[in-house]
Amino acid sequence: MLKIEHLTKTYGEKKAVDDLSLHIHPGEIFGFIGHNGAGKSTTLKSVAGILQFDAGTITICGKDIVKEPVACKKELAYIPDNPDLYEFMSGIKYLNFVADIFGIPAGERQEKIRLYADRLELTDDLAQPISAYSHGMKQKLAVISAWIHSPKLIVMDEPFVGLDPKASYMLKEMMREHCEQGGAIFFSTHVLEVAEKLCDKVAIIKQGKLVKAGTMEEVKGDESLEEVFLELEAE
Amino acid sequence: MLGILLKKQFTELFRNFFYDSRKNKMRSKVQIAAWFVFYFVIMVVFLGGMFAVLSFSICEPLLQADMGWLYFLFMGMTAILLGTFGSVFSTYAELYLSRDNDLLLSLPIPVKTIITARLMNVYLMGVMYSGIVILPAIIVYWIVAGITVSRVICGILLFLIVTVFVLFLSCLLGWVVAKISVRLKNKSYITVMLSLLFIGGYYYFYARVNGLIQILILNAVMYGEKIKGAAYGLYLFGRIGEGDWTAAIIFTVTSVILFAVILRILIHSFLSIAAFGGYTEKVRYVEKQVRVKSPFRALLFKELARFTSSANYMLNCGLGVVFITVCGIMLLIRGHEFIDLFGQVFSLTQDALAVILCMLICMLTSMSDTAVPSVSLEGKSIWIPQSLPVEPKTVLRAKMTLQLIMTAVPIVFASVCAAMIVDVSVVLKLMIIVFSLVFTVFSAVCGIVLGIRMPSMNWTNEIAVIKRGAAMPIIIFGTWLLVAVLAAGYLLLGYTIGAAGYLLFCSVLFAGCSAALLRWLDTRGSQIFAGL
Repeated sequence: MLKIEHLTKTYGEKKAVDDLSLHIHPGEIFGFIGHNGAGKSTTLKSVAGILQFDAGTITICGKDIVKEPVACKKELAYIPDNPDLYEFMSGIKYLNFVADIFGIPAGERQEKIRLYADRLELTDDLAQPISAYSHGMKQKLAVISAWIHSPKLIVMDEPFVGLDPKASYMLKEMMREHCEQGGAIFFSTHVLEVAEKLCDKVAIIKQGKLVKAGTMEEVKGDESLEEVFLELEAE
Repeated sequence: MLGILLKKQFTELFRNFFYDSRKNKMRSKVQIAAWFVFYFVIMVVFLGGMFAVLSFSICEPLLQADMGWLYFLFMGMTAILLGTFGSVFSTYAELYLSRDNDLLLSLPIPVKTIITARLMNVYLMGVMYSGIVILPAIIVYWIVAGITVSRVICGILLFLIVTVFVLFLSCLLGWVVAKISVRLKNKSYITVMLSLLFIGGYYYFYARVNGLIQILILNAVMYGEKIKGAAYGLYLFGRIGEGDWTAAIIFTVTSVILFAVILRILIHSFLSIAAFGGYTEKVRYVEKQVRVKSPFRALLFKELARFTSSANYMLNCGLGVVFITVCGIMLLIRGHEFIDLFGQVFSLTQDALAVILCMLICMLTSMSDTAVPSVSLEGKSIWIPQSLPVEPKTVLRAKMTLQLIMTAVPIVFASVCAAMIVDVSVVLKLMIIVFSLVFTVFSAVCGIVLGIRMPSMNWTNEIAVIKRGAAMPIIIFGTWLLVAVLAAGYLLLGYTIGAAGYLLFCSVLFAGCSAALLRWLDTRGSQIFAGL
């Protein structure tokens, strides 16, 4: 589903991501962890086609993000760490805007908006302007807009930040269902307990370099993910 | 504390002068100097020169009639009007709508420090607009009447008094707008409507200013005595410029009091206005039948929604729509008089008048610039178009198309009106319309090219990119200069191929340039957008 090969991205002198390679298969929830500034967001933005990188390749469903960006973006959805949405639109107008871009028929989009907005308890607020939304409501809207076009790959940067416990639980449910249906999820998080319980695979990045990756069992062994992470950070 | 806030504000204000955000690095010293020279030329030489000419035309006759105070009263009031007109629309946003409100209020910074720092931006804007009137007026007076110590000191005091009056009026109106805004729905439309009324009044006055000046000069003594008798304060105001110490002290004290009053009002009300998110009546979502749009139409409607959501955006970048239409109507009503007068004064043929009229209409496109700040206005939401499955060129073309649609319709109307009032061949009438349209396309393409070449994505107040961005003066004054060159080109050389031939030549030339710029936009421009 997603192949990252030798990804390198530099900002001036600093290597934000250094020769990173990862493979994510259909049905996998892939957690990406690392300290602040380790290169997680840079990697996720590169995968989403937002950031131009210096070396390496990223292929989504067999298509190269550099050579076929539009085709790749049709297969994926991206949720940033801070949901800066179009504040001049109402929630429903934003969802319809995204649905228009993806060419989703009217009936299908209404059905999905109803389904996901009900699950995340945002239906009543969809007519409100986004400028009146709280951070959590914006995050919920970003989640609905990501799920609305049934992408194969969903890339999320800290998706649980700002969500209330119920919405957080629902998002985890939606992530599992998405992967059960053959999709894949690649997300970053600092909440290691969530990663440990939710992810099939995990990768730890430190100063732009991948230091450990594999199935949850391979990475943590008999320890907790938190202990493994702290040990690697201390090295 | 104030120093830190001012430094932060000025860094944002002059960011484009020092920093090339496209290349993500500081500009060279030569580039920085070029920017400052460019601003100096526009503000001092171009606009200041215009008011210096006006000052010379009325200073001498009024001084001969011993009515120097009336000269300063007239120029002072013009400066206050222009200063207030120039900054009032942005004052509300400048004072209350910054994105860093929550951040600043959460820090141990007194509210009065935040307000004072923001007032400095409003003050500078007022200084810029009123200064181009009052400074030439004072200097011209010194030249004509002679320099004395009291005239120099009182002249400087007059400048400061005028700028403080502008600040007071702008803030007062900004505060009124703020108080109304927190209670209103559709506030951007209401602000635009009120502003249009204000602008209408301004231009009504401006259209009659020449006649007023003549009447004022001819009847200076009579009007002077009337004003002195009925409003002694106005007489005293005018006396400041002549070096009257008593008048200068009275108005300096008044200005300080006014400043203190407005500062107190703003400090007292800041928290309740800035922290209030605005009146939003809870609307419960009811599912409705949706109309599916193509990606391009969706992007176009998104641009339209962005435009109509902001009074500042509409007023600063969309005024041309109203102005061009009004101009077309005015041409139909009074166009013949204008043509006759212009033709007689400059001894021009009907063909030459047709070309100049066509260029004047093209000049008005500079008042419709939605495309220029549209890239920067994406701000932190830029990830949305970048992560969606649309080509960057489609996004850019949607931005350009909005300007094109908004400008093309009134331009066609105005150019048809122009074609109707000139006594020229049908071919030339047709070419007036054709060239106006081609120029409109060129203007829209240039707008989006400038927007992509000079982006500023990290702003805390949209005013920074809508009004103060470096790209805006370039497109406005660049258009004026280009149109002047084209008009001069016809009068000097172009007439040899005939007016219709000249407009045809220009149409082909500008269509070619537009095509080349569009090509750049689709390739390099799209790459820049994708990398922002």
